[in-house]
Amino acid sequence: MGSNLLSLTFLLPLAGSVLVLLVPRESAGRACRWVNLIATFATFVATLAVWSGWNAARATLLPGQYALTEDALWIPAFGIRYHLGVDGVSVALLLLTSFVSIGASMASWKIEKSPKGYHSMFLLLLAGMVGVFMSLDLFLFYLFWEIMLLPMYFLIGIWGGPRRQYASIKFFLYTLAGSVLMLAGIVLIWIHHRTFQIPEIVQIAQSAGLFEGKVDGAATYRLLCFIGFFVAFAIKVPLFPFHTWLPDAHVEAPTPISMILAGVLLKMGGYGLIRMAYPFFPSAAVTLEYWIVGLSLASIVYGAFVAMAQTDFKKMVAYSSVSHMGFVTLGIASLTPEGSNGAMYMMLAHGTISSMLFMLVGVIYERAHHRDIDRFGGLAWSMPRYGVLSAFAIFASLGLPGLSGFIAEITVFLGSFDRFPRLTLVATLGMVVTAAYYLITLQKVYLGETPAVYQDKAHYPDTSTRELLILIPLAVVTLYMGILPGHAMEIYRADLEGIIKGVKDVGDAIAKVK
Amino acid sequence: MTAVSALLPTILLTAGVLAVLFADAVGKGRRPLVLPWISGAALVGAAAVALVWLVDGRGGDQVLLGALRMDAFAAVMTLFCAVAGLVSILATLVGDGNRRPGGEFHALVLSSVIGMSVLAASVDMVTLYLAFELISITGYVLVGMRRGDRLANEASLKYVLFGAVSSGLMIYGLSLLFGLSGGTSLESVRVAVAQGAGAQPVFGAAVLLVFAGFAFKISAVPFHFWAPDVYQGAPTAVAGFLSVASKAAGFAGLIRVVDVLGATSSTAAGVGTVLPWFDGSPAALVATMLGVCAVLTMTVGNLGACRQNDLKRLLAYSSIAQAGYMLMAVTMWTPTALAALVFYLVTYLFMNLAAFLLAGIVIRATGTSSLDGLRGLGYRNPWLAATFTVVMLSLTGIPPMLGFLGKLVLFESVLRQGYLWFAVIGLLNGAVSLYYYAKPLLRMYLDGPAADAPTVRVSPAAAVLAGVLVLPVVAFFLAWSPLATWTKGVLPTLRIGS
Repeated sequence: MGSNLLSLTFLLPLAGSVLVLLVPRESAGRACRWVNLIATFATFVATLAVWSGWNAARATLLPGQYALTEDALWIPAFGIRYHLGVDGVSVALLLLTSFVSIGASMASWKIEKSPKGYHSMFLLLLAGMVGVFMSLDLFLFYLFWEIMLLPMYFLIGIWGGPRRQYASIKFFLYTLAGSVLMLAGIVLIWIHHRTFQIPEIVQIAQSAGLFEGKVDGAATYRLLCFIGFFVAFAIKVPLFPFHTWLPDAHVEAPTPISMILAGVLLKMGGYGLIRMAYPFFPSAAVTLEYWIVGLSLASIVYGAFVAMAQTDFKKMVAYSSVSHMGFVTLGIASLTPEGSNGAMYMMLAHGTISSMLFMLVGVIYERAHHRDIDRFGGLAWSMPRYGVLSAFAIFASLGLPGLSGFIAEITVFLGSFDRFPRLTLVATLGMVVTAAYYLITLQKVYLGETPAVYQDKAHYPDTSTRELLILIPLAVVTLYMGILPGHAMEIYRADLEGIIKGVKDVGDAIAKVK
Repeated sequence: MTAVSALLPTILLTAGVLAVLFADAVGKGRRPLVLPWISGAALVGAAAVALVWLVDGRGGDQVLLGALRMDAFAAVMTLFCAVAGLVSILATLVGDGNRRPGGEFHALVLSSVIGMSVLAASVDMVTLYLAFELISITGYVLVGMRRGDRLANEASLKYVLFGAVSSGLMIYGLSLLFGLSGGTSLESVRVAVAQGAGAQPVFGAAVLLVFAGFAFKISAVPFHFWAPDVYQGAPTAVAGFLSVASKAAGFAGLIRVVDVLGATSSTAAGVGTVLPWFDGSPAALVATMLGVCAVLTMTVGNLGACRQNDLKRLLAYSSIAQAGYMLMAVTMWTPTALAALVFYLVTYLFMNLAAFLLAGIVIRATGTSSLDGLRGLGYRNPWLAATFTVVMLSLTGIPPMLGFLGKLVLFESVLRQGYLWFAVIGLLNGAVSLYYYAKPLLRMYLDGPAADAPTVRVSPAAAVLAGVLVLPVVAFFLAWSPLATWTKGVLPTLRIGS
């Protein structure tokens, strides 16, 4: 089928990015944000089309095959191909990306400083993000992966808070350090197997194993390469102890960029683990299983405790991301169908809930110009709509049954309890602490007596229509995913379980040999 | 090939030197406008001849009693240095705003390119040393061209002192090699090494001493101290010329020498294969020295650059670090690695000359070479800032810039030999380099617009030159197949040795 739908999906925001630059300077502010919103919305429609296209094709696909593929030779000398394709996992994350981006685009409405630059960078970032989830050629993937860094650096560095310079360069350096290690792995695979194609590499990995018969000590090579890939993705997730860039980046980034960062960028780490690190080096992943579980548990518990210690609302939400994303790696590491499904569900749930939380923090910051939890109080009475939505997001994040976060956590637990019964108990401690800091925050910020300053309706109006338009769709999805989890899970379940089963089979085979 | 046709580039360049000096004398100090045209024609002519050799695949002829070998490698380096010379002259005219440099400037650049072209072709130690000195001496004068400038004088003096010491060390090393082999030709050294001369203790001393000379030229640690001061004091375009052409010529000479020193009797391409197991063989000695030097050079260069707040000093440390990456390829010594080195040099030519050109434009407009001069440039002159950003990202090695491809090809050649740790050190160094390559970006964009900053205007000529240099940096990525095929196909067949 000669469909160019996937190319279109990343070319739309790219074209928007260029279009923004062509807007005349006088009307820049207003025109740019409309171009941004329209381009982002068009991208969303395109991902919906990708979804339906994939749905139509999936019946005919064999396991491990991709839909809507586009494949053309790009650089013959190195066998690099322009190879795009999607499976359920990518479709789910593409939908999340474009959906969260619409909210972020509307949240960018009030950007006053150099709007042309901002909206152009925003759309370039979007193009890079959707590209990452569609690439089936490692070189192309790496290209999109790196292209994303630049707009992110500028978006934090120019439009961010007071310590934006420090935060932006830290983000850039961390991610680049991780990705060069991954690059070494990519190049090694290419040297020994002459291919950049992800499906091909997975096939080799699950039949003979990468590097087998090509070098002495293939197992060591696999282990080192896995560590390279893993660190690159663990930085993105971010997994303890690679997480230190995240609180800085989140706190300094402007609200819409925090939404994207938490909603989409962190998911690329999880995606990379599922799509590359694990399937490429199953034996190494199994060898290092307890290390990964240990780091995941450390993230969950440490992230929760540190979040509890914060007085900056935004920093607290940032650390809660560290804690929640630990469930993603825990679920993947369990190599069970339940655990991996839960991990993926956590990515989708966290993507919507945390962008909602960052938006809510942004709403109050815009009015109060501070984010100190201790200085707020009783906002639920003075700003009722805001209070209800905040309470909703907080309960969703702490895992209230009926909302999407709960489903994610419980399925991860099902899987990981199966595999690591004792260790998983540690994670429950994280959940308790999570409930504690969220409830304390809820009490301090939203309940109790409202200080006089926040009762001033002129300076503290309730959420505006635009803000509601951003928040309510996110809330609806959170609720929907909490009540009918099967619908979202159905998108990626078969493909994800196929990938994880492939990894587990190789792992089991090794265990038998031992 | 007759001696005359083999020396055609040199003859053209020498004619150019004489012509500019004559025209300058006739012009009675009015510095006629014809000077750039003459030197430009000489450089274009030399480059064209080298290109024709390269396309014809002519190679291997030894001329002038075996002093020079006009092979593909010599042709590539001649082409490279002639182009770099041409760009540097243009950059002086349009970037540094020195519209009427005297005839001596043109003569010096042309002479320097002669030295480079000869150095890349020399297979005789005497010729090699003469060419080496020709590059050095012209360099000393070029650095000190602005006679009234205190910084330029200091830079020139430092350059002379460092240069004199290291070329003294080098000639001492060459004389030891002469003593060991009984001949001045590199071929006789190869024979002597193959017959066991490498086992003598004095051989190690000779290798180290000869390397000292080249380390100075390519600004490798521990002979790099001159670079920041010299680059800071020299006219910006001259600094660019030194960092690109002079460095490339240093590598060309180094490759000629390593070729015979590191050779064992059986394998010519084996230096890299013995790297971590030092067994006392000549090849292991050379490889260890190069490897250690590569790691030190890139690390010291990168860490040093992180602390700089002067644009030219930052670029100086950056070019030290770049030399470290290139030394990795020399250490590997496989045909693939040497091809990667040449490819890297090509990418480096565009990036680094562009970096110095743009630095020159900014420095001239703001009157300061401090990074603060860049403050708010992203708002004052978006095109200039965007171009500068592209160049800095390319030097870091971020896709989709050309510099990424250079690094990719280079590290691929290291990984291919199985030196994972070596490649990882290099890659992490690349990541660290982002810290300082992002410093100009930070000033240009993140600091916000400066209220009282002078406007930065770029003349159309400078814009065109910058465009010509930067276009490949961005555009090659979309279609680098021809370039990749060229390096993969043509360059490994370079016969460095016999």
